Amino acid sequence: MSQPRRGIALLAIGAVCLVSGCREGRTIRWDQPPAGTAVAQVDSATAARNAAMEPGALTTVQTMPVVRWKGPGGRPFEVGRRSGAPEAGYTRLFGTITLPIALRSRAASLNQYPCTSCHQGQKIVMENKRIGDAHQNIKPVHPDQTGAVCATCHSSNDVETLTLKSGERASLDESYRLCAQCHFSQADAWAGGAHGKRLDGWEGRRVVMACPDCHNPHDPSVKVLIPFRAPQLERTGGHAP
Amino acid sequence: MSADPVPDLPPGVDDGTLLQKPVDRREALGLLMAGLAAGAAAASACTPLNASTPEQRELKLLEWQEFTQKHYRRMTEAERAETIQRLERLAKIRHNEDATIATTDAQPGVLFGYAFNVSKCKGYRRCVEACINENNLDRHQDTQYIRIFEMENGVVNLDEADPTYQHEVPLEGHFYLGTQCFQCANPPCVPVCPVGATWQEPDGIVVIDYNWCVGCRACMAACPYWARRFNWSAPDVPPEEVNPNQHYLGNRDRKKGCVEKCTFCIHRTREGRLPACAEACPTGARVFGNLLDPDSEIRWVLAHKTVFRLKEELGTEPRFWYFSD
Repeated sequence: MSQPRRGIALLAIGAVCLVSGCREGRTIRWDQPPAGTAVAQVDSATAARNAAMEPGALTTVQTMPVVRWKGPGGRPFEVGRRSGAPEAGYTRLFGTITLPIALRSRAASLNQYPCTSCHQGQKIVMENKRIGDAHQNIKPVHPDQTGAVCATCHSSNDVETLTLKSGERASLDESYRLCAQCHFSQADAWAGGAHGKRLDGWEGRRVVMACPDCHNPHDPSVKVLIPFRAPQLERTGGHAP
Repeated sequence: MSADPVPDLPPGVDDGTLLQKPVDRREALGLLMAGLAAGAAAASACTPLNASTPEQRELKLLEWQEFTQKHYRRMTEAERAETIQRLERLAKIRHNEDATIATTDAQPGVLFGYAFNVSKCKGYRRCVEACINENNLDRHQDTQYIRIFEMENGVVNLDEADPTYQHEVPLEGHFYLGTQCFQCANPPCVPVCPVGATWQEPDGIVVIDYNWCVGCRACMAACPYWARRFNWSAPDVPPEEVNPNQHYLGNRDRKKGCVEKCTFCIHRTREGRLPACAEACPTGARVFGNLLDPDSEIRWVLAHKTVFRLKEELGTEPRFWYFSD
């Protein structure tokens, strides 16, 4: 093979690698954590702090850069997830965010928690849509609309975890992984900053609402409300706006 | 011998201290008025029917000093501190409120920007409610900085929009678009002010020195977004509802006959907090942040969403964008 042709071949291989590399980088697999980022090692001080945290406290855990994913400018994406669990400190990459996100603990907003206070060591049958007497407050609007059953999202063996399409488990604090399996454009906007609400000021640590903080998972649509009082245009003396 | 004969008195209480330093015309006027006020107070003190307490005399003096204070941007640090002390004391005497008035300057490297998601806003007006409470807006004439327009799906037409809707929201087939002061990069309201009482700060916020404003309302005529509000009477805020966390250029006590407007909650945002409207929004339709920070959410929105601004053809360059999901 002559030199120019070899050069062209190398170039072509390089281009293919580049394209496939880009494509791999952009394919967001919401249902899978990136390879090699399963559980980050947490130093003992962080583990102790995480263990001491009250559920619902706004605290960021130690964040670590994730190897596989790169953001604009080649900087790694990272997300800090928090919960009251001692293993919190686990860091994984999520979507196209450029700043660490801190979330509130989901458990703090549940009034029937922990689940094991009733479901101690029991396997729950979740293949039909029957909802037990203790959960009469749940209106299964979303399952009815989508044809889902309880087990589509809830784990039968361990009721305090969510189950993803891949069969993998996710904690209640990782509900974004569950929701993002279908609502990927919303999840992308959430990770970037256009969806979801920021809580802790515009500066510094980025604390945002997670999906179930606004959307009731069983009935997620926006509700009709009476608005605050209308402006009295004739009294302010101005033009319409 | 240049021994200072004046002991530690509150600033300006003893007129003798003022007479010993060089004064300009404005200060001289102030001095004259203060003397007149003190004289009037002394005279009225002699008549039994109109006896004034020391607090009333202090109020009169402070009011004259307030009337003759300098433009905010020409104050020295010491004069600023003196002014703040006076305004806080006046708030205490007039409304019995313990206000803290900040003069926090713009942070370097910060330029505020706002984005509004028209597909998220459901017209609840929780932002309006939060704004009224946060900024001590007049309850009597019901001043509101924010307008939420209800429009039929399909076209953005503010002429056909309804800002006075009062029914359950969201209404089927309608969307909601909120306006307030857009803190334009090229603000038409600033150059028309005949006395320079309004200007743009380095972080992009257009502010007003309420004490310098003469109430001519030229800025209101100039603003193509009707963002400014006029105080037809002294703002009426119930004492128990006053927000004591104030800023000189923001939500402090306004007087009758001055113009005011949204300042992106300058007293909050200059300390890293979100504006009250963004914090109150229950749907997350409001995105606020630093335009100079490439990692900020507002920059992400501008980079990834299709955005538009109102009346872009006017060249006012609002720092307030609209986008949809």
